[in-house]
Amino acid sequence: MKRVLARTIYMVIVLVLSSIAVFYAIRLSGGDAVAARVPASASAEEREAVREQLGLNDPFHEQYFDYMGRLFTGDLGNSLTNNADIGKLLTEHGRNSLILGVAAFVLVFGVGIPLGMLASLRRNSWWDGGIMTFSVAGMAVPNFWLALLAVWLFASVLGWLPSAGCCGPKQLVLPAVVLAMEGMALTVRMTRSAMLENLSQDFVRTLRSGGLSESKVIGRHVFRNALVPIVSLAGLRIGQIVGYALVVETIFGWPGLGQVLVNAVLRRDYPVAQFFSLVLITIVLLSNWLADVGYTVVNPRLRRS
Amino acid sequence: MTDNGGQASGGDQPVTAPLLSIDGLRTMVSSRRESFDVVRGLSLDIYANEVLCLVGESGCGKSITALSIMRLLPTPPVRVREGTIRFRGEDLLSVSGKRMRSIRADAISMIFQDPLTSLDPVFTVGEVIVEVIRAHRDMNKEDARRLAGDALTKVGLPDPISQLDSYPHQLSGGMRQRVMIAMALVLDPDILIADEPTTALDVTVQAQILDQLVTEQRERNMAMLLITHDLAVVAAVADRVAVMYAGEIVEQAPVDELFEDPRHPYTQGLLRALPKVSTTRRRLDPIPGLVPSLQMMPPGCAFAPRCPHALDRCWTEQPELAADQDGRVFRCFNPQPFAG
Repeated sequence: MKRVLARTIYMVIVLVLSSIAVFYAIRLSGGDAVAARVPASASAEEREAVREQLGLNDPFHEQYFDYMGRLFTGDLGNSLTNNADIGKLLTEHGRNSLILGVAAFVLVFGVGIPLGMLASLRRNSWWDGGIMTFSVAGMAVPNFWLALLAVWLFASVLGWLPSAGCCGPKQLVLPAVVLAMEGMALTVRMTRSAMLENLSQDFVRTLRSGGLSESKVIGRHVFRNALVPIVSLAGLRIGQIVGYALVVETIFGWPGLGQVLVNAVLRRDYPVAQFFSLVLITIVLLSNWLADVGYTVVNPRLRRS
Repeated sequence: MTDNGGQASGGDQPVTAPLLSIDGLRTMVSSRRESFDVVRGLSLDIYANEVLCLVGESGCGKSITALSIMRLLPTPPVRVREGTIRFRGEDLLSVSGKRMRSIRADAISMIFQDPLTSLDPVFTVGEVIVEVIRAHRDMNKEDARRLAGDALTKVGLPDPISQLDSYPHQLSGGMRQRVMIAMALVLDPDILIADEPTTALDVTVQAQILDQLVTEQRERNMAMLLITHDLAVVAAVADRVAVMYAGEIVEQAPVDELFEDPRHPYTQGLLRALPKVSTTRRRLDPIPGLVPSLQMMPPGCAFAPRCPHALDRCWTEQPELAADQDGRVFRCFNPQPFAG
């Protein structure tokens, strides 16, 4: 319990610090936010007036507290470019991102763990060799390149799947697989080594000496022990998925949070960019927090001592 | 193989048939580079109700023998190459895996040296004992849990019922070993194999655990194969002793005879090497030389290179384990009287 509380406090601190960093970084990034708001023919006075109206001339800390205050009252603001309601952007694009993210997450663990187990149980076989080769390739190939390769092969050459679009199952396949690939490869490796490590532990012999079947010994006991490191790094996998989503959503034209954020940054759309940065940061921090709590759950040695 | 001398009935051995009978066991380690026997034609009988101690130094094949009986050898690289292990008429080495699983814990149980690494860290001790019970008995979880609680109570664990929900890391070394004993005995086996059960424990706890084991053995009329390198333990608990050297048994005798009148020069050396409490301090008396490498065993007696009484014959011929005219069982061409 103490550990969970400590992790929670830690998360809040990091969240505050990173919100300041994001706020500052966007203002440092150069370019003119007002350009998005006024016609190119506008005079210097007109520009200055808009700048004043948006509060961009206030000192940094005033802008920050002003913005955070409005955020807490539920006023997320509007886009500078098209005046779209940010709350609406969040729900619409958030839903798409959630679909893609969950699909990738399921692939990372739902495919990664069974493949890793298979490799460990058929150690040094063709299965093992094939799975580990796939895993090395999955880690080595950058996902933007994998995305282009996948589009070329499955969309252009074979014509099995659409190269982009939203949001049916057919459109989901390529972005989800590309997004999941690296995490899946890492999970395979980690599962395999954790299984092998625990298979050689003394307690396995004890359980066998108790007359338990191999399926119980391996499927229940060895697996539960192997799960400890896998779960502890699950948070990092989620963070990875969130980060890579920016690239993958952009390449596949998947209208999710990442795509909104990338476009907003390119257009100096401050309110949208900072809000969605904060959203992504919060997701990553929350997932790390969840992994910490999950680690405590799967590892009784951390519970009470 | 002519190692059947191990079954020779010496002295006051029980006349009944043995409960477990190992005959000509050869267990080998094989890798791509080399392969050699670590147990070299071992024959040994275990009778009901007795405490049989298997003694010998590290690496002589005691644990491998025990794991061969349980069929728990780390295969590969270790596997049984030859021999039979008969238990109630069945050869354990040729029964199906399923049959062997049903024998483990139910008929033959085993406890291990290090009680920390021997228990699954992410399950409570109760969960594991319940699982062992339910692997053998058609019993619901509540009844199995009650039985597990009884077993913990019986081995003298303080506050046994609440310890069912403890994880191994929450228990001390002695408590963990008691848990191991409870798990091994919960189904009332006929034979308990205890492989150095006290070696990893504090000295004071060692005595308690040993005491617990002997108590259980007596109350349950169970046979116990106790593997140890500690002659003080042997003297305290054994009925019969088998001395192992370099993968084979060199002498086997009732405990009193062995300590009073050891016949094999290795047994004699072991006893002489025991530090004694006396008024005049004297140096320890180790056996000279080293155990031969199992990869390069001498053609004759394995102990010949270290033996003070070795004859020419000892270097070329293997003595057999056989009973002499007194009914003493040992493996030596040139036995000498023991002068402690």
